[in-house]
Amino acid sequence: MVKNDNGQLYTIEGFAAGLIMVITAYLVVNATSVYTAGDTHINDMQLEALGSDALRMMDIPINASESDNRHSDLRTIIENSEYDTFKIKFLDYTNESGSGPGHDIQFNASYSCRDSSDNIQSVQMVNSRNLTGGEHAVRSTKWVIVDKECPGAGPSLRERAVLVEVLLWRD
Amino acid sequence: MARLNDDAQWIVLMGFLVSFSFFFLALVINQSTIVGQTTAESVIEFSKNDIRDIRDVIITNTTTSNLTVINNDITNISLSRKSAVVYYDNDFHFIHYYNGVTQYNERNWTV
Repeated sequence: MVKNDNGQLYTIEGFAAGLIMVITAYLVVNATSVYTAGDTHINDMQLEALGSDALRMMDIPINASESDNRHSDLRTIIENSEYDTFKIKFLDYTNESGSGPGHDIQFNASYSCRDSSDNIQSVQMVNSRNLTGGEHAVRSTKWVIVDKECPGAGPSLRERAVLVEVLLWRD
Repeated sequence: MARLNDDAQWIVLMGFLVSFSFFFLALVINQSTIVGQTTAESVIEFSKNDIRDIRDVIITNTTTSNLTVINNDITNISLSRKSAVVYYDNDFHFIHYYNGVTQYNERNWTV
């Protein structure tokens, strides 16, 4: 058997060069990532949280100590059907309008109420764009106590609980 | 018949091994695009906001005069629009929420 120990340094250099090339290739390949279906929840959850926060801000009375006669914006909007106000405030709270960088968020808002025969009615409030069915929308909801009966039930007799539902999607 | 050439059997075997391993690697990469789909769905379906919201609306409206009507509103609309079974008593001792995946029970003995 031939015992030859020439070129040991060259061999080490070769290994070092090989390692450098492999590590470089690894870093380059990892510099970007493929957006898979499993990653969509990150954007969706952010959008849902944004909608929930906006609805929650709208449902806080201006002055809690006077909450008996000064109701939250959301309650006033539903009781008086001021749906354009809802649109203005909601787009403002989601940074779609107003100062600062804007988002490309569209929404469709409605609320659900229970009528006298225990059916659940959905009342369309306002939207920023008509739904086509192709949107990848998330839903944010908020319970609101309002002094208003379901449509068709006549004048309001007492406070009721309704569920405000907002579908949110990005362009 | 030509003489059977049995040289380089190891090289051919290694070639087979490498190509098979490429095949299985391709299978793994193929699966990786849908990995996390169910996790993502369950994350976004987690009803933390729903539970907080329903707890909020129940507890902050203890003074209203028509508790039974509001109780019926919340129970019926939850079932219809949120697919969630909600039960609470008007003394606010007990709140139950269950949407088929997440269950939440709260007992408040001090009220």
